[in-house]
Amino acid sequence: MPDERPPFLGTWPRVYAAVLAYVAVLIFLFWLFARAFTG
Amino acid sequence: MRPLDWIVMFGWLAFIVSIGLWRGRGSGTTRKYMLAGKTMPWYAMGLSIIATQASAITFISTTGQAYVDGMRFVQFYFGLPIAMVILSATAVPIFHRADVYTAYEYLEKRFDAKTRSLVSAIFLIQRGLAAGLALYAPAVALSVILGWPDRVTTVIMGVLVMVYTSWGGIKAVTWADVYQMGLITAALVLAFGMAVYLLPHGVSFGDALSLAGVMGRLDAVTTKFDLNDRYNIWSGLIGGAFLALAYFGCDQSQVQRYLTGRSIAQSRLSLLFTAVAKIPMQFFILFIGAMVFVFFVFERPPLLFHPVEQANIASRAGYAQVEQSYDAAFARRRDAAEAYLAARHNGAETGPAANRYRNAQHDLDVAHAAGERLVSRDFNDTNFIFLSFVTRYLPAGVVGLIIAVIFSAAMSSTSGEINSLATVSVIDIYRRHFRPDASDRHYVMASRVATILWGCFAVGFANFGRDFGALIEAVNMVGSLFYGGLLGVFVLAFFCKRVGANGAFYGVLAGEAAIFAANRLTHIGFLWYNVIGCVVVVAVGVVVSMWNRPASMT
Repeated sequence: MPDERPPFLGTWPRVYAAVLAYVAVLIFLFWLFARAFTG
Repeated sequence: MRPLDWIVMFGWLAFIVSIGLWRGRGSGTTRKYMLAGKTMPWYAMGLSIIATQASAITFISTTGQAYVDGMRFVQFYFGLPIAMVILSATAVPIFHRADVYTAYEYLEKRFDAKTRSLVSAIFLIQRGLAAGLALYAPAVALSVILGWPDRVTTVIMGVLVMVYTSWGGIKAVTWADVYQMGLITAALVLAFGMAVYLLPHGVSFGDALSLAGVMGRLDAVTTKFDLNDRYNIWSGLIGGAFLALAYFGCDQSQVQRYLTGRSIAQSRLSLLFTAVAKIPMQFFILFIGAMVFVFFVFERPPLLFHPVEQANIASRAGYAQVEQSYDAAFARRRDAAEAYLAARHNGAETGPAANRYRNAQHDLDVAHAAGERLVSRDFNDTNFIFLSFVTRYLPAGVVGLIIAVIFSAAMSSTSGEINSLATVSVIDIYRRHFRPDASDRHYVMASRVATILWGCFAVGFANFGRDFGALIEAVNMVGSLFYGGLLGVFVLAFFCKRVGANGAFYGVLAGEAAIFAANRLTHIGFLWYNVIGCVVVVAVGVVVSMWNRPASMT
């Protein structure tokens, strides 16, 4: 079965890196969110 | 439940069964019945993967967890995207190119028949138990709302799922899941909107966030490392990644979903879509629980959310005193919350009011725990919080919609589970060991029979659901007892080329022994069982293979 290119970002390693960066940002936002309302 | 709720609920159930039957037509060969002819687009697989994982337990128990313990549970999912990236790069192309029906079929190609059979048996035990628990959750819901016996509900649920799953196979399961995810998303948004809308006049959304935050209900990230703490960022990233690797990489109920992709790229995209969508979805579900908590700051919650147990304890000795303490603590908490908001609006010091608010919450928790102790059996009220809010405060139609969501979630999980259980039973056990040369039509028929038998088993096991505590933890716990061993053997298969069949076989046995020892002898959080099991399997597998190297390598 042939391996196709991803529909965006050109290569699969770039797509993987984008997903991991997204998770890091998400965790940081959650941390900020909790701190903002802890009082 | 009012007439409109009944119409919405039964209308949706009829729609889903019809969709499953319609979409599942033409599944007359094993390749179509078990792999949908490898024609599925990424979005259908992705939504189906999320729907299968988001069981009814997710909605019933997760919202309750946020109510009592805050949003820490979201950390459980932090490792999931890491696992999805690893699986997209490794398992997806390997399974696709091996052209297998099940993940365990690949193990015979890589190792031998006994390793395949052992791992298939572990999967059948673990997933069979989980299927029963997933069915039990909506039975909890309906026993609260309708006063129906749990048994009636599980039978109705089981029969509906068996009808379309046995008829249409994986195609029926996947497409039904797509529609169910649509309803689930809509209902979550609606439930959140209602929780905010029902806040008292003068309490803004920002006020609600402050009231939840002061009480720690918005704490989503715990950075302290503690092996005995179930949910912190480290257990989530490491233990959660191992659990997700095992679940999505070695559990046939998930692997079968992305084996239906029309290309490697489509299967990869389905996993990466799950990686991106899952954490925000869980965060949102927990956030609904936090908003329900704020709603009950101003609206007196019942001493027990379980209406039957609440009625039962009303006649017990000591009830009046407990309820009096509870009423007083609730009034103190409400007054302190109002004082806190007044200070916040006026720009005054909020510290003293916040402390009074926290102290009153502590008193309320103590009174609630005393109420729970009045129940004569082992009892956990967490699973009834969200249902109590829905049925007592949401309008006609919306209640039916949310009950339909709980049904949908249970049906999507159960259908995927019994479909994969049937596939493994037929491909890895029946065809491999009993009838290797039967016709394709025979195996399709055998799969339909196996689907019904596993459905009956799930219904039967569901009747033991009441013996477990918070349901979501029970399901994850069952998974964690077995997943470390499963993951370890696939790590050996993918990455340790010099490890042979005996190493893999004894590695799995040692890994499972280590997990059960950790469970019985230590207090280590269950997320770490996956790490322990996987490491032991790999270590024992490598050592055994070095000691007993195959002739071709010596």
